[in-house]
Amino acid sequence: MNINPLDLSNSAALNFSGKNILVIDDFMEMRNVLRDILCNCGADIKKMQMAANGSEAIAWMKKVKYNVVLCDLNLGHGKNGQQVLEEAKYQSLIDPSCLWIMITAEKTVDAVAGTAEYQPDTYLLKPITEASLRVRLSKIWGKKEVFAEIHKAMKQRDYPKALSLCDQRMVSHKTYAADLLRTKCDLLLAAGEYDHAKNVLEKILGARDFPWAKAALAKILLKKNDLAAAKNILEETVEANPAYLEAQDLLTHTLQVMGDLESARNVLERTLKFSPNSAIRQKNLGAVSMKLGKLEDAERAFRKSVSLAENSVLRTADAYLGLAKVCSANKNPEQALKTLEQLKKNFAADNVCVMALAIEGMVHHQCGNEQKAKQIAEQIGQSIATGNLHPDSDGTLEIARLLINAGDKGQAIKLLQDEIKKNPESAALLHDVAEVFDEAGMGEEGRQLIETSRQEAMLIMNRGVLLISKGQYEEALSAMREACAAMPANMRVLLNLAYVIITYMQKNGATPELINEARHSLRTANELSPGEPRFIRLTAALKELTALK
Amino acid sequence: MHGESLVEIPDKKHKSAFASIPSGFNMANFLVSSVHDMKNSVSLLICGLDKVLTSAEAAKLSSHAELVQMNHEAKRINNRLIQLLTLYKLGQKIYPFDPQYVCLDDFLRTIVAQYTQLLEFHGVQIEVRVNPDLYWYFDEDLISGVIGSAVNNTMRFARHRILLSAAECDGKLMLRVEDDGDGYPAEFLEKNSNVMQSVDFHGGSTGLGLYFSAMAARMHRNQGMQGDLCLENGGALRGACFVLRLP
Repeated sequence: MNINPLDLSNSAALNFSGKNILVIDDFMEMRNVLRDILCNCGADIKKMQMAANGSEAIAWMKKVKYNVVLCDLNLGHGKNGQQVLEEAKYQSLIDPSCLWIMITAEKTVDAVAGTAEYQPDTYLLKPITEASLRVRLSKIWGKKEVFAEIHKAMKQRDYPKALSLCDQRMVSHKTYAADLLRTKCDLLLAAGEYDHAKNVLEKILGARDFPWAKAALAKILLKKNDLAAAKNILEETVEANPAYLEAQDLLTHTLQVMGDLESARNVLERTLKFSPNSAIRQKNLGAVSMKLGKLEDAERAFRKSVSLAENSVLRTADAYLGLAKVCSANKNPEQALKTLEQLKKNFAADNVCVMALAIEGMVHHQCGNEQKAKQIAEQIGQSIATGNLHPDSDGTLEIARLLINAGDKGQAIKLLQDEIKKNPESAALLHDVAEVFDEAGMGEEGRQLIETSRQEAMLIMNRGVLLISKGQYEEALSAMREACAAMPANMRVLLNLAYVIITYMQKNGATPELINEARHSLRTANELSPGEPRFIRLTAALKELTALK
Repeated sequence: MHGESLVEIPDKKHKSAFASIPSGFNMANFLVSSVHDMKNSVSLLICGLDKVLTSAEAAKLSSHAELVQMNHEAKRINNRLIQLLTLYKLGQKIYPFDPQYVCLDDFLRTIVAQYTQLLEFHGVQIEVRVNPDLYWYFDEDLISGVIGSAVNNTMRFARHRILLSAAECDGKLMLRVEDDGDGYPAEFLEKNSNVMQSVDFHGGSTGLGLYFSAMAARMHRNQGMQGDLCLENGGALRGACFVLRLP
């Protein structure tokens, strides 16, 4: 098997005909070098454009649909390569079939700090040679082709089709077997087939210690709410693979849910040593540090997050909100208000504006400007009372924080109790609510209020199931309907209602109305928390009933 | 990283900035940022020389031999700088170890393509032996640095032939770089039992390449097994053999 090493063109046959190419690099010499290499690979110079920075690149992508983009990660001032890619994908300036190659001077995980959907197809280390580019291009091109249909099915959430495509391709395209197997596991997780996924993963781990397979096992444990076991497996994984940041992030998340903030902070710090430029992790570090009372650390992290995300289309309001809060806590109200002003300029979404307003009220309260604080509290309180506001969980907490200190205390307590009823099993939420009570000097009273709401909610949630087990079907049904009316955004209540309806129908026969009610309930639950194992099981049971009918 | 600003001090403040070096001064930062900076320059140098050498007129130039040699030296510098940066990151525990399934055929051909021209010049033939269906799970950049540095080394001693091969052997991937030279000196092979101790800053060889290779091998673990490195004489070409095994 003697192979002529010069003959790379055979294994890496590239067809550039009709393909548009964009080269993004801030150095002219580099652009020229890349252009020459591409030409040697067979690219048409007339179909090639050069951009020296992010804005030029975006402008070109608005005019031309590119098939291949070669982009330096470091573009000097302005957007970096990752941010250009994010904007291009976010604004659909490139098709999924477009091949994006990120060029970096050195291997770093900073480059992969973005979420999976905003990752480039591949990285190439400098110096780029014709051989390395040829091999990489042909490999990625092939992979894109093999995965095109699978990704399409995934996007349509047609998991059975995507899974069967994966199985087919694993036989026909052995080159990509490892990637296909990993995708198959992702699909099984997304479809909620946890036991099946676990079997496949354990078989994979029997042959090789893949960190991604261990992380996937941890995800299953998290879905089943077995936090301690998830923590164990994740700790083992990051010990052996510290650079596998997905496992580090999962571990941070697990520790936060468990309420172990000190450990969560340590993991975040460790992760940030690998990826100091991740805006999301800096923001999380700010939030955790603040909860631990480390205000200076929190301010530094939030500031870093804000500045890192400055040029990114994916930036979120959270870092600004956190920075405003920490500045206020650090007795710097001017800076806090300035941050909120900046925020308003950049974000227009309703729930963000309400949260910013509530925090603004708190800034005034904390610096002794009671009149202004009261005015804002009243304004928000009225909107809540008239049902014009539907804040999310974080927003509700901020509003309650302001109202309890500068507005209608009773209204604040009601808001917090309702929030607990939506999610009485979340340790993190209970912790946050307790904190709001503590800050307002209602520590003991608050703890009692929390406990009462929690118990009430748990009781209501389980009453229907309890009645069913006693054989009282009619009573169970009306109990769960009441519970659902009282707690319309509680995932467990919705699933229990579906369960009770389905059990009722199994006993007394199905009707179209009941089937619809169960279906609606399941759908709402799945929107609140997609892919719960109970959702999958109940959907299957309902399907069986409708088939019988 | 262009415009790495760690060592850049504004002109006007030149003197005062040096007079009061901040308490956080850290020589390692200067070294690392300088290595980055040098790497950028060397990258451009390599690309420029590659361009000149691939042009049709290149072979006719009277200085062709020198250009080929310059290109080779620039690549050597680049490999060294990468090894230094990687070792620094390994020491700081921030190296982004990233194993993937790699097609060995593509992998070895890409490495060989960098050396073909130079070897042709020296009348040395390089050969790749690998099953095109062989795939293995490893950090491509790390191992490409290891094999590249082994090829670099072996071309100084090979007479006419170099052989690169990859095969599965006892559940491990065995990568071999062999030549038809005189082989390693006996005392070198004795010391080789502990590659990590062979760094000799006073001798001609820094041992950096070997040290780097041994570290890279050890990073690879699976099911209780660890990668290792071994030097021996003999093999298919009866010369020196550089043998890397990855679990």
